[in-house]
Amino acid sequence: MKRRTLLRRIVIYGAALLLAIFWFGPFVLVAIGSVIPEANLFTFPPKWFADPPFLGNYKYIFTGEIPQTYLQRGAMRSMISEEVRWIPYSMFNSFIAAVTVMFIVLVLGSLASYAYARLRFPGRKGTFLFVLLSRLIPTVALAVPYYAIVQSLGLLNTRWALIGIYTVLTLPFAVLVLTLYFKSIPREIDEAARVEGATPLQNLWYITLPLSLPSLVGAGLFTFMLAYSEFLLALLITNTRIARTLPVTLGSISTNPDVSWGLLMASIMIGSIPTMLLVYPVWRFMVRGLTTGAGR
Amino acid sequence: MQERTTARRRTESKAAPPPTPSRRRAVDWSGLLLVAPAVLLVSAFTLYPFAHALYTSTQLSSPLVEARFVGLQNYGDVITSPYFLTAARTTALFTAVAVPVLVVLGVLVAVLLNEPFFGNGFLRAGMLLPWAIPASAAGVIWQWVFLDDSGALNVSLYSLGVIDDYISWLTTPELARMAVVIVFIWTQLPLVSILLLAALQAVPDDLYDAAAVDGASTFGRFRHVTLPGIRPMLVIVTVYEILVALATFDLTYSLTGGGPGTATTLLTYFIWSETFNRLNFGHGAALAVVIALVSLVAIFVILRALPEEALLGEDR
Repeated sequence: MKRRTLLRRIVIYGAALLLAIFWFGPFVLVAIGSVIPEANLFTFPPKWFADPPFLGNYKYIFTGEIPQTYLQRGAMRSMISEEVRWIPYSMFNSFIAAVTVMFIVLVLGSLASYAYARLRFPGRKGTFLFVLLSRLIPTVALAVPYYAIVQSLGLLNTRWALIGIYTVLTLPFAVLVLTLYFKSIPREIDEAARVEGATPLQNLWYITLPLSLPSLVGAGLFTFMLAYSEFLLALLITNTRIARTLPVTLGSISTNPDVSWGLLMASIMIGSIPTMLLVYPVWRFMVRGLTTGAGR
Repeated sequence: MQERTTARRRTESKAAPPPTPSRRRAVDWSGLLLVAPAVLLVSAFTLYPFAHALYTSTQLSSPLVEARFVGLQNYGDVITSPYFLTAARTTALFTAVAVPVLVVLGVLVAVLLNEPFFGNGFLRAGMLLPWAIPASAAGVIWQWVFLDDSGALNVSLYSLGVIDDYISWLTTPELARMAVVIVFIWTQLPLVSILLLAALQAVPDDLYDAAAVDGASTFGRFRHVTLPGIRPMLVIVTVYEILVALATFDLTYSLTGGGPGTATTLLTYFIWSETFNRLNFGHGAALAVVIALVSLVAIFVILRALPEEALLGEDR
């Protein structure tokens, strides 16, 4: 039964290739689009690879130096907007908000998860389900109330508003992951410490957390990514350059008629770098744990 | 998987004497204290906004006029509005097409990734990328792929000689809808595949061996061993993705802007434009409540579909 026929291999590699093209193809196209001069991009029939790669778009985003192609006169002049230069600062905003949210969520999440995994108290099941299911209400349904709350607190266009809301939006997921992981640690260790008189907090800090590093890293990074990518509420709450996050800036320049495609592609490449860097650790610590440890 | 675990636990507890059950059962009030910050925060940011939406939905509310109570008139207005009906129909169609295709593809990809082949690890790790990048970026990336004049797809197809002239992917209603479904699948397939792969790997090997001994074909084993084994996860994934599809916003916002016309205006986008373009907060809130209620029904279905004790395990 275990014999691998040639046909079987062809099917497997063919499917894997199709999948790889579907998943990674668009990224390759964006990378290509970001280094092709605008004039070659929009000609019919296409001549994408007629000229050597052009890095002016990247240079402009970081230094503000307007590339030669944008200074030409006449119909072939490309459009340019100062807004794309917001990208680095928007990334910084997203990053600050996401890191802060990550730490708050890990602290509150591990406290709650320890209780859910180890302690018996009234309302354990009810509050657990409530926390998990709260996330299933579509964000757009709560967007206006969120806006009203943030406005009445005077926190519009601040990172604080984003941090508060993202904490609530990502906490349920962290609680789920950490609770499941904490439960997988043999409770005998925990009970031995309790017999010695350790409080739940001491147990959490000295025993459970050191044993749960993979899930903490995984849940933390996952939280980071969710907060880093959130769009709808950030769009509502941050208008000014001071607090605007990366997804909002990307959304805005994509509808800005003065932004050329090359610049837009370069912005997306730069904006995706943190995500690309985080994909491997998230995979390593979380997904692999999920796919191999699911039998427990 | 569930049955096996409980069975094992049962035999364990039979083998070893239960360690002082009275103390295990003791209520630990410090638990309440530990969960309080998380639960209070989540309640405050869920219940209050929902109450706020309920209240607003009964008001004639807009920054342009004085607010006043209008009862259920907002609900009547939005539910009978032809735009609402169109958006609801589009959303239903989108969900009915995208989710089944997504789940079927997810099963296929999970089965594929469960096979050993060169590049498997790379594919598993890299596939997170489409899911992890901001959805607004995904919309823009695919806008570039689908662009009318010299988008990547048009250029590729033209270079390969498949088409003679560029196709207007995003400005033809049917094609634009198809594009939204494709991009939705692009962003969601990674998560679905991974969850199903996890379920697939939890199916005990001896079941496959037993089926093989009984002479089951590859398809027979898939049909009678794999599918029943991953059914709980299939249910969870399907319902979860229905919720995600109902809540899809960033994607249409940055890919099509709801157009051409209203061809890809989903309910979420409709709420958005009703609230922030037309500044009719009362209508927006009424729509939001309707969407939330639909989601609550879906949540209820999830709860019924989940095996008892699936999340917290037996009460210890």
